[in-house]
Amino acid sequence: MVKRAAPKPRRRLAATPHRHEAGRCLGILRELSDFIDNELPDDICLQIRRHLGDCPHCEEFVASLRQTVSLCRGNPAPALSANERALMREEILNAARFR
Amino acid sequence: MRDRFDTLYKDHVDLMYRYANRLCGETEAAKDLVQETFLNAYRGFNRFRGDAQVSTWLYAIASRACLRMRRKRKGAPERELSLEEFIPSSEGEFHLQIPVEGLSPEEALQNKELRQALNAAIDKLPKKYKMVLVLRDMEGLSAKEAGTVMGLSERAVKSRLHRARLFVRRELSARGLAEETHEPDHESLT
Repeated sequence: MVKRAAPKPRRRLAATPHRHEAGRCLGILRELSDFIDNELPDDICLQIRRHLGDCPHCEEFVASLRQTVSLCRGNPAPALSANERALMREEILNAARFR
Repeated sequence: MRDRFDTLYKDHVDLMYRYANRLCGETEAAKDLVQETFLNAYRGFNRFRGDAQVSTWLYAIASRACLRMRRKRKGAPERELSLEEFIPSSEGEFHLQIPVEGLSPEEALQNKELRQALNAAIDKLPKKYKMVLVLRDMEGLSAKEAGTVMGLSERAVKSRLHRARLFVRRELSARGLAEETHEPDHESLT
């Protein structure tokens, strides 16, 4: 059984469809990866944090983007066995000799 | 020459196999790519000037070989991803429907379905976006290093990375919505 931490209480999203008021949310959407990677100037980060505090939709969106990036970073890749490593080395050296 | 190659191979084969696997998504194609990479490295050893790290040089060789191998297979033409297509339009699109909250990525990825969904989403990315995502978010290269590997500016790397992340996020979200229809209880994350 995987241990589950207590989930953060989520703010209720408005029942009406979100309209990305005045293009503010769309502007934020363009900057989100740089925001997550801490690659924006401090003043822009502050503006984004303020917006996230006011806009539960964007807050949800950032959280889900962060989760996506975390999953990519944690995604394991298969490894070669010692035998496969040795076999591939031989094949490369053979190909280098004959190609 | 053989000694230098052996050292290069021993030090970097695991790194290149991991990268190849992430790019190709399947074992045999990944092995072909690793062989092609080291064969090209063997032949080009004398041209390596040492401006970049050896690993960056190998990543660049592997990336070029991967694109060449893909062109030979004549797959679907690459499509551009626009930011507009990722603007959420309904309530359900704002958060991930796959339940990962409260779990570390490693814990969440113990779930086979989630792992498969993530890998399927990454595989669906057009190659040039996938390559940036793999280099930055999976191999851990900086934007500058990824740019050196792919021959792109840092700005172009960041732009492609953002679209790639939004694409994967949307794919995971859409998959979650579909699954929820059939299986409302997500206790299967154990």
